[in-house]
Amino acid sequence: MRTIYNIEDYSCEINRCLQCNFCLATCPIYREDMVESSVARGRINLINATMVEKTLPLSDRARDLINRCLLCSSCMQGCPSGIPVDDIIIAARHELIKKYGLGMAEKYIFRRVLKTRSVGPLANKVVSMLRRLKLFPGQIPELANPSFNQRVSGTLTPAGDKRGRVAYFIGCGTNYLFPDTGDAVIKVLLENGVEVIVPKNQHCCGIPALAHGDLESALYAIRENTEIFASLDVDAVITDCTSCGYMIKVKAARALPPDDPCLGKALSVAGKTFEATEYIARLGLIKTPHSQPIKTTYHVPCHRAWSRDLPGAPRTLASLIPDLQLLEMREPQRCCGAGGAFFLGQPDLSQSIRQRKIDDILDTGAGVVMTQCPACRYYLQQGLRNQPEMRVVHPVSLLAAGYLSKNL
Amino acid sequence: MDRNRILGEKEDLLAYSNDATHRRIMPVAVVIPRDPGEIASVLRYANENRIPVVPRGAGTGLAGGATPVPGCIVLDLKRMNKIIEIDQKNLTATAECGVVTQQFQLAVEKMGLFYPPDPQSMSVCTLGGNVATRAGGPRGVKYGTTKDYILGVQAVLPDGSIINYGGKFVKMSAGYDLTRILAGSEGTLGVITRVTLRLITLPPCRRTMVAIFPELDNAAEAVSAIIAEGANPSCLEMLSQQSVNTIENYLPMGLPRDVEAFLLIEVDGHPAKVEEDCHLIAQICRGHGVREVRTAQNAEEAEKIWLARRALFPASAHLAPNVLIEDATVPRTMVPAMVRAIARIAESHQVTIGVSGHMGDGNLHPGILADIRDPELMRRVEKAMADIAREALRLSGTLSGEHGIGYLKAPFLKWEFGDHGVDLMRRIKKAFDPNGIMNPGKIWLEGGEDNL
Repeated sequence: MRTIYNIEDYSCEINRCLQCNFCLATCPIYREDMVESSVARGRINLINATMVEKTLPLSDRARDLINRCLLCSSCMQGCPSGIPVDDIIIAARHELIKKYGLGMAEKYIFRRVLKTRSVGPLANKVVSMLRRLKLFPGQIPELANPSFNQRVSGTLTPAGDKRGRVAYFIGCGTNYLFPDTGDAVIKVLLENGVEVIVPKNQHCCGIPALAHGDLESALYAIRENTEIFASLDVDAVITDCTSCGYMIKVKAARALPPDDPCLGKALSVAGKTFEATEYIARLGLIKTPHSQPIKTTYHVPCHRAWSRDLPGAPRTLASLIPDLQLLEMREPQRCCGAGGAFFLGQPDLSQSIRQRKIDDILDTGAGVVMTQCPACRYYLQQGLRNQPEMRVVHPVSLLAAGYLSKNL
Repeated sequence: MDRNRILGEKEDLLAYSNDATHRRIMPVAVVIPRDPGEIASVLRYANENRIPVVPRGAGTGLAGGATPVPGCIVLDLKRMNKIIEIDQKNLTATAECGVVTQQFQLAVEKMGLFYPPDPQSMSVCTLGGNVATRAGGPRGVKYGTTKDYILGVQAVLPDGSIINYGGKFVKMSAGYDLTRILAGSEGTLGVITRVTLRLITLPPCRRTMVAIFPELDNAAEAVSAIIAEGANPSCLEMLSQQSVNTIENYLPMGLPRDVEAFLLIEVDGHPAKVEEDCHLIAQICRGHGVREVRTAQNAEEAEKIWLARRALFPASAHLAPNVLIEDATVPRTMVPAMVRAIARIAESHQVTIGVSGHMGDGNLHPGILADIRDPELMRRVEKAMADIAREALRLSGTLSGEHGIGYLKAPFLKWEFGDHGVDLMRRIKKAFDPNGIMNPGKIWLEGGEDNL
């Protein structure tokens, strides 16, 4: 199989790095570790030395450092040379897998559970395995049963005039952990005159596998999903998850080899993919939601650079809900420490990153935290366990509650 | 010391093997001290065993001051990052060396105070590094550079002694000015651990202007006139034609490609005075052949203008694998001659050089496109650098306005100060660092101080 994420192909990109070290300013890991080997510049220089120029052996420490990245892409947002740090890390992890194989747990999750999207017995097995291997810090999440995709599919038509027709991509977070988000997205779209198609047999977007360097599983997911969504006659593909959006909009086409027959379709799906709040904010509300007299704050997920309006849209929508008060936290764009499933592998590190975020959240005095990423939502919820009055929700849920004329 | 704060594995050392220049030398260890006492023990040990020590802030230097030397210990000072005090009544602040410049600025600005030095790397660089290189930025034209704000310093010397000099007083006439000797010493005399800095009050109003001159000479004359007539701009930046083209090719924003000088001007202070200054600047520009001069009407428009200036760095970075940013500085009336000389130098060595710079203070930043993997090109780049240095000195300028000398310009130092000048500096170093362990090979070529 000819693949894109071949580390030696990144030699040129790595050598374009100005070595300015501006990435020190934004890296959440550097902020905790405070050593320069734990920041983008140090990491890509190490990747260059161990995998491209091979002047250093690929030691355990090197592997640790390569895996010690959240892939939050904060470093890229201030990088003067526009180095694709996340792609370089993914390629390096792919190289590690080629050399050392995939870990048991990862193999099981990427190649069985996320690939076949089967819940019930299999998912429960995973949960018990994670527990046995002590891979899950804190509470083991309750999995939705039935999962969202088992409960909702087909074409859902709005009551009045139709303003649009979209396909809804169900992310794994919504499917297994937070089906309430899926219900809210559909409610808000229907209330605003948008027809929603929920295709059956959707797969995981593939970003967890890609982030771990398991390109094979990622490509499988990309191809399957692309075929499904490219075949639909819709104005837009909607996702409520910022990481799924990042995958579908940016990474999918990049992960496919240039001569892949699926590439054209992947690009056309990418072209019409929108994050849910962004789509709704752009469309505008035709129905004013009922009052929600609550104080909320907004945590901006790391995977935001794929869409310009993404961090603005939840704020816009919040301002359209009567009596809702948005209290901005310090550095709302700073990572919460989850990093997808990063927190499973690096629990202590993730917890110290999260603690800063929790302090910022509590200082706002808000009772509800909005965020579009299910990993952030889960991880923040865990961090706020001792604050039973605090809730973490997808921004769309606030609108949906407004339409159901009930308090969140 | 905590073992976690001593790095010895190659994978970690690699991250410290260079700064923002491209020479790579692996240190033997990195030590991350938390207080002057720990630094003193490291220096005493290094001094007894003749191990070189290279202090390091954020490693953003463009002259190679923080590049390791063979067999050295790197002292990573970024964890000494406490702001100790901001004294609103005396208008001073005391901070540890590892405080990030921008964090420090934000902290004082919250109290209505202002710390002007603004190196481009201020989001990551440290106050200690700024003092050690006398760093500056665009605001230098009105407010000076780091050297103009240091009132006091604490430093650890190679024998482990800790000296304190200066303090929260505005005047000081006692003894040699050790603060000024340590400022710009680039880690060759000791380790600066704490600084006391002068603050001013935050200017209440700020306006941004652009002035577009078809001819460079006219622009330069206008700049001299603006300053001579007391308009006192807080930034006076120039983009050369080539820089404008570089930006436009990277991020089209409608800048005029057919003019020799694109000026960005900022004025700050009391609103009435700012208004008056903007008016005066526009008038002077009109008297000097400006094609267009305008004042941004709101913050958004001002932001757009500065975006052009900020885009130059990334735009240049996209042109070549490496960009060497030079720092030659000349009297402001010599700027046109220097800009032309740089164009000649680029042509004679067949290299590409984009010029931008702080026109108001004569500090130019020729950006030389390079590729460290191409030794033949690098030889031409080095020759061009040497010629730029020669030309700056010929035009009564200096080798460096705000970056320092490091190793990159060490071969040129004699051209500026002559043998006597450099020997005197060596004797000063010898007094601080008799065994020559502190950042050897920087500022002047290695080994010099042993031949005294």
